[in-house]
Amino acid sequence: MNQFYILLLALMFFSIGLNGQSLKFDDINQEMLEEMSYATDSAASAAVLQRTHAVNFIYKESTGFQLITTVRKRIKIYKTEGFSYATISENLYNHKGDRETVSGLKAETYNLEDGKVVTTKLKRSETYTKERNKYYDEYTFTMPNVKEGSIIDYEYTITSPFAHLIDEIYIQYDIPIKEQEIVVTTPEFYMFQSIMKGFLTISPTYSKEARRLTYNSQVKGGYAGPGNTRSNSLDYFVYRSSYVLKDTPALKEESYVNNMDNYRGSINYELKYVQFPNSPRKEYSTTWEEVAKTIFDHDDFGRQLNYSGYFKDVLKEIIQDTDDEATKVSAIYKYVQDYMTWNGYRGYNTDKGVKAAFKERSGNIAEINLMLIAMLRGAGLMANPVLVSTRDHGIPLFPTREGFNYVVAMVSLNEEQIFLDATNKYAEPNIIPVRALNWYGKQINEDGSFSSVSLFPSKPSREVIMLTISMEEEGEIHGKMRKYYSGHSAYLFRNQYNELDEETYLENLETRNKGMLISEYEITNKEVLGETISENFEFSLEFQSTVTGDNIYFSPLFNFAMKENPFKLEERNFPIDFTFPWEERYVINIKIPEGYEVISLPEPINISLQNNMGGFVFNINKTNNSIQLMTDLKFNEAVIPAQNYEELKNFFKIIVEKEAEKVVLSKANKNENSKRSAEGR
Amino acid sequence: MRHLILFLLPLYSSILTAQDLNFAVSAIPEKLVKNANAVVRLNHLDVELHSLTEMEISMRRVVTVLNKLGDTHVNGQVGYNNSIKIKDVQAIVYDKNGSEIKKFKERDFNDISAVDGGTLYSDSRVKYLKYTPIDYPYTVEFTYNLSTKNTAITPSWYFLEGFMVSTEKSVYNISWKIPEMKPQILTLHLDGYSINTIENENRTTFIGSEIPSMKSEAHAPAFSKIAPKIMVRPTTFNYEGFLGKVENWKDLGLWMYSNMLENRNEVSDKTKDDVLALTEGITDPMAKAKKIYQYVQDNMRYISVQVGIGGIQPISAIEVDKVKYGDCKGLSNFTKALLALVGVEAYYVHVEAGNTKIDFFEDFADLSQGNHVILAIPEGENYHWIDCTSKTHPFGFLGDFTDDRTVMVIKPNGGELRRTPSYLNEFNRQNITASISISADLSLKAQVKIKTKGTQYDSHFFLVNENKDDVIKYYKKFWSNVNNLQIIGFQFQNNKEDVEFVEDIDLEASNYAVKSGNRLFLSPNVLNRNAYIPKRYRNRSLPFEISRGYLDEDKYVIVLPAGYAIEAIPRAVSIENEFGTYHLKFDLDNKSNTLTYSRSLLLKTNLFPKDKYEDYRNFRKEVAKYDNAQMVLKQL
Repeated sequence: MNQFYILLLALMFFSIGLNGQSLKFDDINQEMLEEMSYATDSAASAAVLQRTHAVNFIYKESTGFQLITTVRKRIKIYKTEGFSYATISENLYNHKGDRETVSGLKAETYNLEDGKVVTTKLKRSETYTKERNKYYDEYTFTMPNVKEGSIIDYEYTITSPFAHLIDEIYIQYDIPIKEQEIVVTTPEFYMFQSIMKGFLTISPTYSKEARRLTYNSQVKGGYAGPGNTRSNSLDYFVYRSSYVLKDTPALKEESYVNNMDNYRGSINYELKYVQFPNSPRKEYSTTWEEVAKTIFDHDDFGRQLNYSGYFKDVLKEIIQDTDDEATKVSAIYKYVQDYMTWNGYRGYNTDKGVKAAFKERSGNIAEINLMLIAMLRGAGLMANPVLVSTRDHGIPLFPTREGFNYVVAMVSLNEEQIFLDATNKYAEPNIIPVRALNWYGKQINEDGSFSSVSLFPSKPSREVIMLTISMEEEGEIHGKMRKYYSGHSAYLFRNQYNELDEETYLENLETRNKGMLISEYEITNKEVLGETISENFEFSLEFQSTVTGDNIYFSPLFNFAMKENPFKLEERNFPIDFTFPWEERYVINIKIPEGYEVISLPEPINISLQNNMGGFVFNINKTNNSIQLMTDLKFNEAVIPAQNYEELKNFFKIIVEKEAEKVVLSKANKNENSKRSAEGR
Repeated sequence: MRHLILFLLPLYSSILTAQDLNFAVSAIPEKLVKNANAVVRLNHLDVELHSLTEMEISMRRVVTVLNKLGDTHVNGQVGYNNSIKIKDVQAIVYDKNGSEIKKFKERDFNDISAVDGGTLYSDSRVKYLKYTPIDYPYTVEFTYNLSTKNTAITPSWYFLEGFMVSTEKSVYNISWKIPEMKPQILTLHLDGYSINTIENENRTTFIGSEIPSMKSEAHAPAFSKIAPKIMVRPTTFNYEGFLGKVENWKDLGLWMYSNMLENRNEVSDKTKDDVLALTEGITDPMAKAKKIYQYVQDNMRYISVQVGIGGIQPISAIEVDKVKYGDCKGLSNFTKALLALVGVEAYYVHVEAGNTKIDFFEDFADLSQGNHVILAIPEGENYHWIDCTSKTHPFGFLGDFTDDRTVMVIKPNGGELRRTPSYLNEFNRQNITASISISADLSLKAQVKIKTKGTQYDSHFFLVNENKDDVIKYYKKFWSNVNNLQIIGFQFQNNKEDVEFVEDIDLEASNYAVKSGNRLFLSPNVLNRNAYIPKRYRNRSLPFEISRGYLDEDKYVIVLPAGYAIEAIPRAVSIENEFGTYHLKFDLDNKSNTLTYSRSLLLKTNLFPKDKYEDYRNFRKEVAKYDNAQMVLKQL
């Protein structure tokens, strides 16, 4: 597979008049209908045989330029699972009375019946439009007469009044595409920049063409009289980019990937500026500076940071007369976190504004975090917003406003930069919600300049488990367990379990630990943010060793051993995403049954991944009647590149095998040989 | 999702009276707070049957939410469609002291389509309250009024709304103007609760008070089977312009047949010719029916489109014939039409589908029961059942979606209740045989054969349609306890006639055995380790059930590595009790260094009282213990 790339295309045009679409749809014949699998991907349940996607601008006097997108797809259905491709739906956006509409639907299903090609047409009455919410309608239809082997062919046009917004064009699907052509034609008045991402090799061709539009202008003034109009014309150019791809492979799902669309081939058009004759140029963002500036200048963002009246009195009360910056930061953060509740909506722009949100005590992400920043600034601290794209929103690879959907705060404290997010009750300084842990954010400074900052925590989140275990001869173990959670581990624990009553929590904990019995349960710091959570309890577990004659065999991690390698597949194309760096450490002290001695122990090991990405330590020792074990599994990186998959899989294989190794105990004094061999180690 | 959507009446649907409640949290009786995430302070529904074509419903609902997990119990939503008008929708939020903090008018409610992505179209919509709580506890008072011309289905009523939610006061009040409309009321599981009934000449009222919450427990029967509730149905009604007078299932079936089903069975000439040609020369009706079912499975597909009358009338056969798709109603009606063409009688059947078995109530015939349609084909006294939405199930096999429950069979002369076939205990069989060899290099090789029947067939036979990558992924998960597993090859045989699925798999795994000094450790149960141990409850309060039961039989012939002898082997086991049986046997042939491992586990369907739970848990613990036991080999 090729290297993943993002291509910013220099706009170079040569004026050859390529007249739009060149891909011709073949006649559908018997052979095509008889084909029962895709040649290069026999697993494919369906394949796009041919596809065209044309974007054009059409001028109408009443409305100005409209965006016209005509799509045609011809899809071969191989298997029942591919039937889902025979149901088509389009989301149609509407805003303030302007709405996207669909027209010109032509749709047919081709089948082979008794050796003849038979077509079934979709009727208009079999299409449906349903209102999904305030902003979107869903236009949907399903093709008639679909069977395994059918070919479906449909075409329709979407007319959009939102001329500045060309949707992302995906050129890779979950099924293969045999032949596709994307043609985007834009008038000189709307200057777009095209950006491609993914693993596919694309070589677009460009051309330039002359056009003319006519319009009427009303001639005002005394001499012509009212109602007189004059016909005018305007000559201009259109720019055309054409992308032809053949045999585009399917994008196949893999586990531990946070969002497959990050890796899907696509073409994006981002508006740089709009300029009509005799009008000033209206700039849009195409560099990070401009994106930052555009967002910053927006009423729902930058201006929201300037309001301070609403919290003035409160702020005084919060910080009182302290001069200590750290005290101020934690007091303000804690105040906003407690006072405000997130309403579940994302966005870096405010919806009802910070003032209304403050009054209602609830708001979206921007309202809460921008309020936090404004208050920090109000207290004389250096605080800035950091734009973020959440994990499910993908990675913003190129400068675009739509690339972001979230904002957190960053405050400078004693030369240190600290992330703050007050939208979750259990977040802490530098422990922001998991949804926002996605590569890099863009920090926007007070002057509108920007810089990139890594969102991943620098230190691993830790879980430390300390066990003091006594073994019985029959295989039962019992003892004390203390478990500590810090960093994101503590954040996740609090979010998952703090609402549960203790009885239910313990039932779940016992079940997770396969039949463990728990008593004397205590937990500290459950609600104390910033402190390590500690669970403390007594437990017992049965069937933890194999007893034969005078010998006892057991894994020194008992039920706590990692029994399965989480990575089972042979190969992998995409990075492995652990969300945040993490560490899990066991410290175990085992008291062996009375009258037994240790005959053999597993060997200690210490292994690590390349570039210090992670490591595993297994140390084991014995004294007279006890065994001490320490294991430590650690990942210093949240994301492991795909090329290290083999290494990672093998790393886990070694851990699983090491933790399965046995300790051997034997009845003491019975056999001098075994005693000697034990001492020999 | 293959459900027929009856028009959406809210489950909990009341009347505005003067402020009669103390909304402060401190006013909640202590016993209602225990084990509760929310407390329903008042749930009051008034149903007024004004005439055959006019029903009005008023709802008033006050819920105190104690913590985040209780947010969903506010349930500030009301469904509507073309035949339901709603008005006066309103919500008021109070803080823990009972002071008003926010008010929502109708326009502040979100209004969305009430169907998921799986349905192409439905006119069902829902208005719902979206409120972000700023503090706990808080209280929401939600009210609305609703009117409809349809009087066939009146809301049923739960005095307890779910697990971990208690009820302070719950009032259901139904009145009728015309004596003939006096509803029949079915009461279920009301014993042991404080629920009073007041009956008047033209009004019946149920009042439940101070009902503590129930906690969800593993293996307990479904909530609807244990919760106190009532079902209500007018015996004379209007539904989308069709009047009905229904005493029993026979009447309801007749109403359905003559108003919703009759004369919707025409198909195209071509289809007619096709099916006649398909069955030419066949005389046995069941042989014909199998052909027709196969034809439907090959040519039709399931798409949910809710456009028929009130969600209960099927799209006509001719329409389905044109587009070659339909929902459960459309496909069943179409198949019935084809069967009629070839001279095979079949009946349209209403059923409540889902993994949980839910019966239709014998003496309570109404349209609110059932969410799916299948067909029954009579043969003598018996019926063969088919689900026309499945493209893969064998003829006559329902699987666990519609098995073992009473359903309404709709015949031209009326309806009758029948029971669908049950798949129980030994019938749900999985048989794994394998020849396995373990080498001195610790690796394992195996030729495996898996045969499945009954519900176990249902959960395996889908493999036949999966692509190679997905099959390999499936096995890696199925045998996740075998590390380093490699699937060398596989082959399937789907025997539809006997409803048996056969898998032949070749597999390998490196480092299967664990070496320690001169000993090897390995699990003789390579392919079917059951590690499940039911949750332990300090205080169990609900009964539990084994809803279908199954039998697993395993026989592995294991060739042990040369140069090693068995030092220790788990002992043979034989357990028999009321929950099932478990047998384990090891036969060693020293000459060939071969071990034959035989195992069987049978679970028997039944409902058990709560004090048997610990015994059941111990039984499963024993099984888990022996299934995961290891053997020890020693180097010679």
